[in-house]
Amino acid sequence: MAKKQKRYAFLINLERCIGCNACTVSCKSFYDLHPSINRRFVRETSELLTGTPKRNYISTSCNHCDRPACATACPTGAYIKLDNGIVKHNQDRCIGCRMCATACPYGVPQFDPVKKKMDKCDMCVDRLEAGEQPICVVSCPLEAIAIVDLNEIDESQVVADLPGFADSSITGSSTRFILPKGTTVVRGGIKSWNTL
Amino acid sequence: MSKVSRRTFLKGSAVLGALAGIGGTASSFKKIKPAKAAGKKKQVFSSCPRNCYDTCSIVTTVEDGTIKFVTGNMNNTYTNGRLCVKGYTYPNYVYSPDRIKYPMRQKERGSGKWERISWDEAYDIIAKKILEIKKEYGTTLPIALNKYSGNFNVLNNAVEGMLSSWGYTTRAQGTPCWPAGIDSQTFDFGAAVANDPEVMVKAKYLIVWGANPAWTSVHSMSIIERAKENGTKIVVIDPIMTDTASKADEYIGIKASTDGALALGMAKYILDHNLHDMEWMKKNSIGYEEYLNYLRNNITVEWASEKTGVPVEVIERLAREYAAAKPAAIWLGYGLQRHTNGGASVRAIDALAAMTGNIGVAGGGANYAQTECYGFNYAVQSAGTPPEGDKAGGDRMLNMNNFPAQVLAINNDPEQIPIKMLWVACRNPIAQDPEASVSYKAFESIDFIVTADLWFNETVKQSDIVLPVSSIFETWGLTASYWHYWVNVNEPAIEPLYESKSDLEIAMGISKRLNELEPGSCTYPTDRSIEEWISNELADDFIKKFGFKTWRDILEKGTAKVEGYEAAWSDGKFRTPSGKYEFLSETCAANGHHALPVYVEEMEVPKDRPIRLFSPHWKYGLHSQFQNLEWMRSIHNEPFVEIHPALAKKKGIEDGDMVRVESEVGYVEVKAKITHTVPKDAVVIYEAWYKEQNFNANFLLKATPSDMGSYATGQAGLAFHDQFVTVEKI
Ligand code: SF4
Ligand code: SF4
Ligand code: SF4
Repeated sequence: MAKKQKRYAFLINLERCIGCNACTVSCKSFYDLHPSINRRFVRETSELLTGTPKRNYISTSCNHCDRPACATACPTGAYIKLDNGIVKHNQDRCIGCRMCATACPYGVPQFDPVKKKMDKCDMCVDRLEAGEQPICVVSCPLEAIAIVDLNEIDESQVVADLPGFADSSITGSSTRFILPKGTTVVRGGIKSWNTL
Repeated sequence: MSKVSRRTFLKGSAVLGALAGIGGTASSFKKIKPAKAAGKKKQVFSSCPRNCYDTCSIVTTVEDGTIKFVTGNMNNTYTNGRLCVKGYTYPNYVYSPDRIKYPMRQKERGSGKWERISWDEAYDIIAKKILEIKKEYGTTLPIALNKYSGNFNVLNNAVEGMLSSWGYTTRAQGTPCWPAGIDSQTFDFGAAVANDPEVMVKAKYLIVWGANPAWTSVHSMSIIERAKENGTKIVVIDPIMTDTASKADEYIGIKASTDGALALGMAKYILDHNLHDMEWMKKNSIGYEEYLNYLRNNITVEWASEKTGVPVEVIERLAREYAAAKPAAIWLGYGLQRHTNGGASVRAIDALAAMTGNIGVAGGGANYAQTECYGFNYAVQSAGTPPEGDKAGGDRMLNMNNFPAQVLAINNDPEQIPIKMLWVACRNPIAQDPEASVSYKAFESIDFIVTADLWFNETVKQSDIVLPVSSIFETWGLTASYWHYWVNVNEPAIEPLYESKSDLEIAMGISKRLNELEPGSCTYPTDRSIEEWISNELADDFIKKFGFKTWRDILEKGTAKVEGYEAAWSDGKFRTPSGKYEFLSETCAANGHHALPVYVEEMEVPKDRPIRLFSPHWKYGLHSQFQNLEWMRSIHNEPFVEIHPALAKKKGIEDGDMVRVESEVGYVEVKAKITHTVPKDAVVIYEAWYKEQNFNANFLLKATPSDMGSYATGQAGLAFHDQFVTVEKI
């Protein structure tokens, strides 16, 4: 029987992510990106995600969508959706018109001011093909990022949507998140409130 | 002063190595194959020397003489092949256009009008100034040194050696970071010796008390996550709901500076319910009866609740859980001791761990710090001894934690030998010292200031001469951690950029010029290679600890572990005068404190400045380093103050508004960030140096001393978190 086609996706564990941006910077370093642009983005998300307030973050890059808006918008066909799920951008075809950046609900494609072309995460496809994990995955000090095959994982254990992250149904974002657990919070009242 | 053990005083340090390419297996990624023959690609081991718990061993990939990538060294099981965000910026650090490239002289301080000079000129100007001072005052005491933790490479202690080789001088002594807690642990245990953090996973229960490893020790945070997944209950006690607290099973938002009360309240409950370990206390401690009597007669859980704001039933439950879990670990952070009663709090927490028999147990402990890995010879430092006949008889010690005020006091007093020249290295005191406005005045009162640095920071801006220092990738080094038990070597990865030199080379250069101008005026050796210097640093018995034959063996893996600290103090041989754990410490009493770990009242909140200011460490910087870099700026580039929504509402402040935060000694204007994660009666400003922005949290801070520190580190610490402000919308 033929092996089922893979659908590679990022799985971000919010219970582990500390919002440190080591992923962003290691990627930037490895690919020698222009200093002004990044392929990964770490944002704060709602403090009330689990009820009691706490610090929560979402680390995302390209979401390698099922219906990539960048690819639809691009006038030169610089984007292709590979069989393994990865959305790849071909800089040789790119004319830097930024249509993709406007179309992407996540604002993923970035304009490289020197190359005058767009740039975005390709899930380190060359590394994956060589049997290695992406740089952000191996760099995250909390091991919060994983590459999964959406055909293999139990979707009931993960979510595709979070506050502050565009609705995954628009373009079929493949990124999945493990939600953080709640923390029991004990916070004493203050007495001198009226004098503050 | 005196009493300072050199190791504790120095806190950091390092050593060196020879050349060798290392296999690609050392790295978590396999970008390139190891260098073959005269290959153009190579990987070398580097070591991050910042004042950081994690002190990482780094694998640096170099192609055609250029650093392409850095990542963690897999050989070091603590580093685990990964770095923090700061570490990953190193290529940007090295090749930043902002680096100081040449020796330079500033026409007028603060003017930014720098002119390039040659090293010969720089050495000449400096050497002549030293000789002039010596001639005028008959001593080199008017020359002061302010150096600390910007780079803990042991070779940088050449700067101390260099000054000694001119004669007796004036020194900034002490450490701002952790002294109160170091004293406490010295009184209780005889020294601060934490369990190896890699065994923290063995804890059944872990209290992270006043530490934020999610930002300041990411590798330990990873260990904590692993422990949590193994079923360890994680409790974080902190006035701020930090990123560490956000990962905990339970967060206790304690009232600042009352940590001692919580520890004593828990201990009282444990005693009342007979959950303490009498056997351990009898066998291993002295003064336990007095301590238990103190609990019986003076402490109630209700009182502890009143003090801390933590409900009685929560204190009782924490006490039960902590006492029942075997083993249970406590990590004491440096934050909780940055108070006027901080040392006393640490002693109370130590006592809680001891009375439950959690000392000497893997997965237990009252873990604060350790200096067991600093087995260096400090040869770079001892190579400098004052020339014969220096009549001063000794260095003049100033308190690093109140340096500017003490400099001004001296320079305003005609009876005292003034401070005419200042050497700054591995430090940005204007950004890091409290009372920044006093720092500026102190600098103004000094005739001649030389700073050796990589960046045009605030301190450099107030200097006359700046000397360009090499990055870690351009020189040799050796570093040890004060938390984990690894020692790392740092091999040069590339040639020094521009005209930069290491602090050690600068020391030798100055010495050479001094002796040309006046033979015998400087004793610092000038003829040793850097490799010779480093080979002098590792003592034979230290090398044997690693099973090495020569120091060069460390080059093979870049890192080596000092074994045997899974359960510090398990031999029951405490380094106190009694040889036991001292609940009752005569040494502590002799130093002006209580003999017992009693509660010391916290500082009173001033009525006119009722809001507490915290200025803890920032995640994208280590003190004044890293946040200035372009890569970091592409992620974040705006200082801010965290305010609780309730306080913001009361003050009419909305998210993004500019606010004025004002203390007794100064003010800053910053953007408000509204968050539920800070207490309602406090604000948080993270200290950092932002490039070309008029921001320095230390304008707000007073140099209020903490209760302890002078016994083991020479000077009391700073009550960084007993600072009070008003906050208004601009
Ligand atoms: S490196 Fe890991 S922990 Fe840090 S922000 Fe990225 S995903 Fe989160
Ligand atoms: S998968 Fe690769 S390209 Fe994409 S964000 Fe991670 S490191 Fe960057
Ligand atoms: S700052 Fe600390 S955690 Fe980051 S790379 Fe350096 S030693 Fe490692």
